[in-house]
Amino acid sequence: MSSDTTPPFRRQRFRIIAQDPSIRVKGKILTAQVEVPAEDLGPGPWGHRVHVIDYDASTQTLYHPPAYHRGRDKVLVDPFVRASDRKLLNDPHFHAQNVYAIVMRLVARFEFALGRRVSWAFEGHQLKVAPHAFADANAFYSRRDESLLFGYFPGARGQNVFSCLSHDVVAHETTHALVDGLRKRYTDPSSSDQAGFHEGFADVVAMLSMFAIPEVVEMAVDLNWSKRKKPPRQRNGSLLSTGAMKVAELRKSVVLAMADEMGEELSRVRGQALRASAQLKPSPQWYNDSEEFKEPHRRGEILVAALLNGFLGVWLARLRALDPADRGWLDRGRAVEEGAGIADRLLTMCIRALDYCPPVHLGYGDFLSSVLTADHELHPDDSLYHLRHSLRASFHAYGIEPASGGGREEPGLWLSPEAEQPKLPLNYSRTHFESMLRDREEVFRFLWENRKALGLCEGAFTRVESVRPCLRVAEDGFALRETVADYVQTLRLTPKEIRAWGVKGVENLPPDLEEISLHGGGILLFDENGRLKFHVHNHVNDRKRQVERLNMLIKFGHFNKGAESLRRFSHMHRLRALNSLPTPREGWI
Amino acid sequence: MPATQRKPQTLTLRAYQVGFGDCFLLTFHYPPQGAQAAFERHVLIDFGSSALPEGAKEGLMLRVAKDIEAECKGKLDAVVVSHRHSDHISGFTRRSGGTGTGDIIRQLQPDVVVQPWTEDPKAQRNATGPTAKNNPGAASLRALTHMQVFAGTVSKHIQDLQGQLGTRRLAQLAFYGETNLKNADAVKNLMTMGRNVYVYHGSRSGLSEILPGVKVHVLGPPTLKQCNAIRQQRKVDEEEFWHLQAAGGQQFTMGSACLFPRATAYRKGQRPPFARWLIPRLLDVRADQLLELVRILDDQMNNTSVILLFETAHCKLLFPGDAQIENWLYALQDSPRAEAIRTLLADVDVYKVGHHGSLNATPKSLWKLFAHKGPQGTPGRLVCIMSTREGKHGSVKKDTEVPRRKLVDALKQGSDYYTTQEVTPKQLTEPLSLPL
Repeated sequence: MSSDTTPPFRRQRFRIIAQDPSIRVKGKILTAQVEVPAEDLGPGPWGHRVHVIDYDASTQTLYHPPAYHRGRDKVLVDPFVRASDRKLLNDPHFHAQNVYAIVMRLVARFEFALGRRVSWAFEGHQLKVAPHAFADANAFYSRRDESLLFGYFPGARGQNVFSCLSHDVVAHETTHALVDGLRKRYTDPSSSDQAGFHEGFADVVAMLSMFAIPEVVEMAVDLNWSKRKKPPRQRNGSLLSTGAMKVAELRKSVVLAMADEMGEELSRVRGQALRASAQLKPSPQWYNDSEEFKEPHRRGEILVAALLNGFLGVWLARLRALDPADRGWLDRGRAVEEGAGIADRLLTMCIRALDYCPPVHLGYGDFLSSVLTADHELHPDDSLYHLRHSLRASFHAYGIEPASGGGREEPGLWLSPEAEQPKLPLNYSRTHFESMLRDREEVFRFLWENRKALGLCEGAFTRVESVRPCLRVAEDGFALRETVADYVQTLRLTPKEIRAWGVKGVENLPPDLEEISLHGGGILLFDENGRLKFHVHNHVNDRKRQVERLNMLIKFGHFNKGAESLRRFSHMHRLRALNSLPTPREGWI
Repeated sequence: MPATQRKPQTLTLRAYQVGFGDCFLLTFHYPPQGAQAAFERHVLIDFGSSALPEGAKEGLMLRVAKDIEAECKGKLDAVVVSHRHSDHISGFTRRSGGTGTGDIIRQLQPDVVVQPWTEDPKAQRNATGPTAKNNPGAASLRALTHMQVFAGTVSKHIQDLQGQLGTRRLAQLAFYGETNLKNADAVKNLMTMGRNVYVYHGSRSGLSEILPGVKVHVLGPPTLKQCNAIRQQRKVDEEEFWHLQAAGGQQFTMGSACLFPRATAYRKGQRPPFARWLIPRLLDVRADQLLELVRILDDQMNNTSVILLFETAHCKLLFPGDAQIENWLYALQDSPRAEAIRTLLADVDVYKVGHHGSLNATPKSLWKLFAHKGPQGTPGRLVCIMSTREGKHGSVKKDTEVPRRKLVDALKQGSDYYTTQEVTPKQLTEPLSLPL
């Protein structure tokens, strides 16, 4: 068969470091083969979404990009399939491949979960990735530079430590870029929750995508489980002792053991995220009462802890189901498979939830309702994994309640517009759904015609930011067509007008401030027949929320000139690495 | 009558014009009492500059040292060094042949040299021991050492970035880098000049015997023991962080071997089209990173400042060095004596404005406490003294200029405000006489 008629391969496999180089099995770095969408790769690797450019600004060195060739079967040849650990650590071409494959795998994961192509937050199509950007214990996403930048630094034993070789760090930074592409306004200063969300969500995705790799779960399971009582007839380690299994026990034996294994030195890049979250015992006090947990990276840890406990709760239930006769032993392979499967499903739920989240002033309660609703839309029956039940319980234990009470069907789900505003029917007669699938003008028309029914603020400037048709597929093949549009409303008021408007309780507004922008907005989720299924919003005229926001902005100096940082992730990670505490500014702004 | 019962009657306060730096000579005048003759006590608080006043000649600091020598008639009673930034200690540097400003001050044989606890060599020796690995206090001191090593690498990075970035940013980097460089000779000179007293919040100042009739309260810096567990853990993290930065800063520069010597790389300076867009941005990022790091370490060094409150029967003088809110928080909020301290601070009569009038070094909660603020003509009005030089630090565009315009306005409005900027280098100082 000639090459012209060969059906194109849809997937390509690359070898990556499964977690980081310090995690070893039988003395060898734990690696994994991962699949990414196949494409016509240029030297770099340089693909349609990602361009790896290996420039080191500290030594001002630009390395030659690696080029890939195809084998006889027309599939790209991974030159590192059988490479030694030494080669993996010392060859910049492998480092470039590692970041490319992890970023692409996550892009594909987001696109699968959302049922559409995702865009970056900048104009271009290709995210630049610099695997050895500078000598610094930092790594970050920069919208302004359209890039992910990974630092390196000398380790304690004289070896160099590369943040680009940490799956956790690469996945975390990629998630920042992906979320920024979906929800640009989540980097705006707002509430503690929104500030913590970007960081927490990036940690959640990094953690779940790590647990979704069976090799990693296998290794995590073997770390401490093997120290338990041995099964009576140990068949090459194929059985695991169930013991007295509890969530706390799983957290200790799997997650904390995993955190212990993760490179101590790499934790300098952005703190010990996994450890900190795993050690955060369930209690509402962190979320509700603690000043310390209002600081973004600590706030993010609450989100990770709640999701981690939810994950462990479901996994535990599945493990128990694997030993129905209560013999005290279960199959190791099945345990690993269940763990990786649940992590993968939870990851999909979390990513899908982004489409159901309000575009501004996100609270953790909003996110929880979005996760529950997104999953309910595809899996109305929760009886197999009880995932939603477990998440509700876990978030509740950390003091986070769903923003929506839900209906009779299930608690915590977003309500339909009809259920929310039964007396104000929506008007569909002046808009065409076919146009609304892709046309912002048409969606704006719909908003305009229904502004009263949808509770929009009439004096505010309104803008539809995006319209995205999606086709989501469940694991059972069930397909769901939806269109997601999001809009933002902006009201610019002087401090005097703010007070007249009824926003009270805002102290210490800088006296020379001319105008303040108040934002609100929502998402409109249309079903395949063009009917509005959900309108998830945080309105601009929500005075309580605006007061909270303004007070927080004042407290942490956001009205200062120069406070806006376009490389805010760099700064946030720096504070995280320094375990920095929030200090209210008392400067002469 | 024992000397301890004598009380000073007046104070001459000399704020020297050293440009961007601090140098204050406090002369306490004790009147004759019975058969006892009058006498004076001289305390020098800081002596350093990181940028001389505009138009000043090279020998300005030497003239200041000689003036101090003359004013204290060859004998200093005490030296107080708020912290180790060059704009506070550069004047203590000696020269071969014994002709440096540090030599002159040394010849004045101060009885006591007061410094923050972070300068205690005993504490620093302990900090390097293996048993000190998880000791927050030790970690904190090691962090300071690493910071200065890192500051020492900044000049090399500036050289690398020369011609690639705007001169303004390079100048900013150079300023922070030089201010935070370790001045080994000044440190050594101070360590061997007189009896050393290393102070912390609530400790004895070591000045009571020298200044009869004057109570000296040490309000800062707090020790790590005085901080809560979270802040202590933070010090351990900081130490590791700065250790990495120092090592990386030294090892990886343009002149060093590249990271992967066996890998093929383009010639230095060569920019193929595919990388042409990103390279300038990465260099820009690198400069931003360096600037961010030197700013963090500058703030942390400022927060080791000694905060002293001199109290006589009728006057209180506050000298906070460059302490910022993180240092002040302990005295004003977290200390078990916070309430008493706030009461003590309410009737401060003379305030040396912190950190040359920067945005963050006069916390508003502190400023609000001062009860002697008032419009011009108010009897017993607060006196504020600032030693600074405009245009060296921060940016007007970002509202971070030093001295900060808004702070200066508030100082002018509520106090009798003096600034060294109004003193010409020729004058050196305009002494201020205060009743005690």
